Amino acid sequence: MIGLRGTLSVVFRIVVTTLLIALASTACSSGEPVEGVDPPTPVTGLEVQNLLAASPEPIVLNVWASWCTPCRSEAPLIGRAASEFGDEVAFVGLDVRDTPEGATAFIGEFFPDAPILHLADSSGQIPSELGGSRGVPLTFFYRVGGELSYLHFGVIDERTLALQIDELVNG
Amino acid sequence: MEFTLLAAAAIAGAAAYAMLWWEAKHGNAARCTGNLWEAGVVSAVAGIFIGRIVAMLIDGVNPIAHPMDVILVRSGVSTVGASLGAVAVFAWLARKEPVTMADGISAAALAGLAGWHAGCLVRGACLGTASDLPWAIAQAGSDVTRHPVGFYATLILGAAAIGLAWWKAYRRPPAGAPAALAVIAAAGTRLVVEPLQPSISGGPVWFYATGLAVGIAALVWSVVRR
Repeated sequence: MIGLRGTLSVVFRIVVTTLLIALASTACSSGEPVEGVDPPTPVTGLEVQNLLAASPEPIVLNVWASWCTPCRSEAPLIGRAASEFGDEVAFVGLDVRDTPEGATAFIGEFFPDAPILHLADSSGQIPSELGGSRGVPLTFFYRVGGELSYLHFGVIDERTLALQIDELVNG
Repeated sequence: MEFTLLAAAAIAGAAAYAMLWWEAKHGNAARCTGNLWEAGVVSAVAGIFIGRIVAMLIDGVNPIAHPMDVILVRSGVSTVGASLGAVAVFAWLARKEPVTMADGISAAALAGLAGWHAGCLVRGACLGTASDLPWAIAQAGSDVTRHPVGFYATLILGAAAIGLAWWKAYRRPPAGAPAALAVIAAAGTRLVVEPLQPSISGGPVWFYATGLAVGIAALVWSVVRR
């Protein structure tokens, strides 16, 4: 036999120890302002709807918050997509129920050079007004003129993001 | 929404288990002392998490500082990291009889991959690039018809799994040849379907081409050695 039980026991102990150390090391961390990064611009729901309707390009609207672990998880993908397709599609980040310090730290960490327009909604109501929910993350895909093409609840994966961007560009 | 990935994984697991069950009735890996199912599941799970950690490192996220991100596999799993990780873990678990166990799990691995791709139905990820072919499908609310690329992969991998299982059951393939054929089928399928899938930064085509070359070399080696 290959001693699978013993192997799994050792692996389990290593994983648990690593997670405990990692959790302890992150317990004191907090978002800090980042030099050279502007905080998101506060907006109202009406201003966002006007932006969506007036944009000459299709829009990918990603709703995030710095306190949201799944948002951290998908942020690198959103940043890569903005850098790759920023010429054809406008990317907008809507930061909800967040602090300016947390938001700038998040932007500085994940979107330092990505062509994304960052907006802030301290009430967290705008995504619901657009047809989404209060949960984050959310990703809206809008055609030119502001028509909603697709709405993704939760963390988005690369295939879905690429497919929906392709729909905006070629649809 | 996250449960759709689990559903796809369950379909993959069921397909692999069904194949192992059928093959066991036909003498698959009869001389094998290790447990193929356990080794396969542990390798697959370890591969997914290794692939996730590699994807985080590529994105500049420290997995030690952000351990909870590791379980959010929907955000991205490195195919290269996951594949090499799964193979490495399987090789270690099967270190006493690597060729016998690799041959034993070859058809089940392909069946599992076919099941995973079939899971695109629950993940909503079956469609690829735009196409005018008669069987192309449009997503709801769209006029753009697309390659059902998830079905392509399911059909190719499923046919390969069944063919390989039949070969193992009713012929006597050289030791190592079934495993080599499984690598060829898996890498070749990805090489075929990758250009048909929209992606953000492009899939690792070089890795699939390398896998295909390694599989062919292993197949030649197993036949010549016989």
